[in-house]
Amino acid sequence: MSANSKDKAVGRRDFLKLSGVAAAAGGAALVNSEGDAEASEAKEVSSSGYRETDHVKTYYKLARF
Amino acid sequence: MALDPAVTAEIIEEDLLRAHVYRLLAKLLRASPDKDTLHSISQLNGDDSELGQALATLAKVAGKVTAEQTAEEYQNLFIGVGRGELLPYGSYYLTGFLNEKPLAKLRKDMAAIGIERRDAVCEPEDHIAALCEMMAGLITGEYGEPLALAEQKRFYGTHVEPWAAHFFTDLEGARSSKLYGAIGSIGKAFMDIETSAFRMLEQ
Repeated sequence: MSANSKDKAVGRRDFLKLSGVAAAAGGAALVNSEGDAEASEAKEVSSSGYRETDHVKTYYKLARF
Repeated sequence: MALDPAVTAEIIEEDLLRAHVYRLLAKLLRASPDKDTLHSISQLNGDDSELGQALATLAKVAGKVTAEQTAEEYQNLFIGVGRGELLPYGSYYLTGFLNEKPLAKLRKDMAAIGIERRDAVCEPEDHIAALCEMMAGLITGEYGEPLALAEQKRFYGTHVEPWAAHFFTDLEGARSSKLYGAIGSIGKAFMDIETSAFRMLEQ
């Protein structure tokens, strides 16, 4: 890496530091860390009628319903 | 997500932060957040930057809506009856049609890097959430070695930059947007940052 491109890399780091990415990422890390397990398969249901489950949604989507 | 500490040490901190923001966007755009996720989003704080402000707005809205309302919002925005308000696919934004050449190009680049769509997934790979996930993975090296910045820049410049900001602007202003409006603002601000930061690598 030449001295020049090193300067650029530092410029970019400083830019990212000031951009608010740090604040956003702190929170993002928190949110990302939980519930990352596959979207809940078995949702608790009380009624036995029509339920818009993921399967139903997939059907609608595929059928362009 | 467990990262090999030896690998993480080589990625500079700022780039890890970028990966976190990409992952947050991917998570929220892939499906509507559940109750717990909404709750943790509502605890977020922003700073004075545009991105920070957008984050603060997201936190505020997340504290006011229920998971059911958000699920309906997601449904209206992206699924809908017939079609949702928005089609979050690169090919659509770039050509006006789904599954067009930009998708083919993306698949080719994915194959070169060694990324493959999971069997259970039927959305095309140029879905915005998939692209955000890929960007995060490229930064942290989930598909092997972390991708060099120049390579990241090429991938971003080809598959994300040409349309993502337009999509996030549409999301920000969509009729059905409440929580997702704030997510649109975050995406827009973040794409701005990414574009400018990559530009600094130039010459």
